[in-house]
Amino acid sequence: MNNKELGYLCLVLHAHLPFVRHPEYPDFLEEDWFFEAMCETYIPLLDIYERLTKEGIDFRITMSLTPPLCNMMTDPLLQERFKNYLYKRIELSEKEVIRTKNTPFYKAALMYEQRFKRIRELYEDFYNGNVLNGFKKFQDMGKLEIITCCATHGFLPLQIRKEAVNAQLKIATDDYFQKFGKMPRGIWLAECAYNPGDDYFLKSYGIRFFFLETHGILYGTPRPRYGVYAPVYCPSSVAAFGRDMESAHQVWSAEMGYPGDYRYREFYRDVGYDLDYEYIKPYLHSDGVRRNVGIKYHRITGRVPLSEKQPYDPDDAREIAAIHAGNFMFNRERQIEYLYGFLGRKPIVVSMYDAELFGHWWFEGPMFLEYLFRKIYYDQKTIRLITPMEYLSIYPDNQVVQPIMSSWGDKGYNEVWLNGSNDWIYRHLHKATERMIDLANRFYNNTNPLYERVLKQCAREVVLAQSSDWPFLMTVGTAKTYSTRRFVWHIQRFTRLWEMINAGNIDEGYLSDLEWRDNIFPNIDWRSFSTIDTEKKAK
Amino acid sequence: MSSGKLGNDNERDANSNSLPDGYGNTEAVLLPRDPFWMFTYWEISYNTVDRLIKEIGIDNFQKSRKVIRVYKLTDNGNIEDFFDVPIVLEAKNWYINVNECGKTYECEVGLITPDGRYIGIVKTNKVMLPKSSVSDVVDEKWMSVNQEFEKLLEISGVEYIGKGSLDIAKSLAQRWEMLRAVFSRVTSFGVSSLSSQAIQKEEFKEKGFWLVADCELVVYGATVNDAKLYIGDRLIKLNPDGTFALRYALPDGDTNIPIKAISGDGSMEKGVSIKVIRETKKYE
Repeated sequence: MNNKELGYLCLVLHAHLPFVRHPEYPDFLEEDWFFEAMCETYIPLLDIYERLTKEGIDFRITMSLTPPLCNMMTDPLLQERFKNYLYKRIELSEKEVIRTKNTPFYKAALMYEQRFKRIRELYEDFYNGNVLNGFKKFQDMGKLEIITCCATHGFLPLQIRKEAVNAQLKIATDDYFQKFGKMPRGIWLAECAYNPGDDYFLKSYGIRFFFLETHGILYGTPRPRYGVYAPVYCPSSVAAFGRDMESAHQVWSAEMGYPGDYRYREFYRDVGYDLDYEYIKPYLHSDGVRRNVGIKYHRITGRVPLSEKQPYDPDDAREIAAIHAGNFMFNRERQIEYLYGFLGRKPIVVSMYDAELFGHWWFEGPMFLEYLFRKIYYDQKTIRLITPMEYLSIYPDNQVVQPIMSSWGDKGYNEVWLNGSNDWIYRHLHKATERMIDLANRFYNNTNPLYERVLKQCAREVVLAQSSDWPFLMTVGTAKTYSTRRFVWHIQRFTRLWEMINAGNIDEGYLSDLEWRDNIFPNIDWRSFSTIDTEKKAK
Repeated sequence: MSSGKLGNDNERDANSNSLPDGYGNTEAVLLPRDPFWMFTYWEISYNTVDRLIKEIGIDNFQKSRKVIRVYKLTDNGNIEDFFDVPIVLEAKNWYINVNECGKTYECEVGLITPDGRYIGIVKTNKVMLPKSSVSDVVDEKWMSVNQEFEKLLEISGVEYIGKGSLDIAKSLAQRWEMLRAVFSRVTSFGVSSLSSQAIQKEEFKEKGFWLVADCELVVYGATVNDAKLYIGDRLIKLNPDGTFALRYALPDGDTNIPIKAISGDGSMEKGVSIKVIRETKKYE
């Protein structure tokens, strides 16, 4: 181990999508969220890890792979549909190489063809259709720390019953164990939303650390001696790592952040809109409406209308990604030197981002990460990449601080998930949760296989309704209709099952239909909603 | 097929009105929104209303003021203070502004009869609001967690080299506030700059004598009960009798409130636009 470093950089990517899977339709628009993220973020990240490992370049990264995402990645229907999506992209990119010959777009067209073919190679030949195989591989090498998340990305501070918190954590850690063959050591609380006391549940499930927004720790009691540049222990002894705002904004900020550079790829100019309708139609959804297909030939250019965007040059963009990675590293070196002198202890700078920022929103993001890893490995000695567990093994002594309720949403608390656009959901969500708790308590000793199935499905519908994604999408106004429907459907489906149980008359056809649609968590532990199980885990 | 047109599934047109208005119980719930705001929703069953009417008479019931009594609790759960927020019972939910963060609150939906008697109807759960500033508590406690995790060893009074926690926490907090101020995204119509309000209050308190005053806005009205009502571009859920009431924070400056009603069949539209100007001045 190199001990000359003055501090540590902990990169954390939060990979999450809501569970969107519609077997009842042959083709479903919102499933594209997953397919796009696979092509643009998850597989490109694995591609980087593969290349770095092959070249012997050591790196460290922490990623949350949320249970809904893991369930989608391992779902045979979505695997099959993703393959079709990918094959269509390969077909289109091959045609595009011919069509764009002798145009300024040729270089980009070639890039897409190679890129989609590499994604296919990784997906089918390397990981056998299951990308978790890839992530697991790097976790086993010690380069990647995979952490879990609340079962369906449930927003814990807006739950009024501890049974709901227990269920979100129990179902998540069970799922992690099934997917990765061991228990998770860390968790990403959905939206970094923390409610004091929930850490006792984390401890009961063997979780050693989680992440908080800056003020979650800075406003904690007592005052944190090292600010966010060292983790703190909650009274339960679970460690909380705080977000570094400086590195966050260097990447995120719309005005000053890297992704806004004029040479990077423009997200909103897509061949789905630009090309001749009959030519592009086979790559659109079956409704024939023009939408993004994921091939984009223009660069950001500047503050000009979409029609005036200039052609994208992949080589220029790559060069800028390398420059930005160098700039990011330089700033972290200066920051860590400064903090080291200021704090008298090696600081840890925790840079947390949505994984989908890298690749999906910021196309060159994965390239930026690759350059960053290379430069940190070859070009400097001030900083060392680290995972939270490695840090805690070097520094097991940390201050005890009670962090405050906080989240990483706009304004830092719960408002994004509780405002005039979505506050109506909580009356129904809490009622369904309360009814589920009552079922778990009443049927705790159930041995009837049919009731076992109904109770499992009840628990699935309740946790799906608890996803923070629905109120989030209502707030931001994108996919508002879909998110509203999803919330209402899960509440209605749960309520109908609940009524059947109370009437002692189970409609098996209806139950089977729901098991087929909402098939997340095949082995869901519905008893985790019981008061008795919750009390066991509360301290 | 897109979600915009889902086959012949009878669930397909689900929207927020597809769920029941209530569940037939008398209950109230309190949720934390941020250091100074909470949200409460409630339901008062017909049985409860009947019981109240029997108790105090229909006339007293109708003439009584409906309020939410907001209790501020001490650390050991006793009532430290309370205040009443006038409400419309049928609104069934309300945002509540408090002036002290970091405290535990509990609310109760209640009535104040014409002769001044308070009758509580239903209490909420308790909610502890987060703080919005750096803690005054500097007593440090340290813990060592070894790899087995189960064995805990608490150490206190460990001396570390470097600056005191006060300097570090303060300078980091200032830096963070600055970054937040610079980068925070544009906020929508509603509450803004909570942290700056909190800082103002602290300043007042330090001088020994102080005054805190603020102002909020209640927008209310009524239309035909099957109409669609929009305030700004937000669809507002009407009460069953067609009334509506919303409460907003009112920042300094001009606030425009465009209100639009569209008849149930979509054939008619009416609008009312309200402009409110707030100007806050301080005197020494």
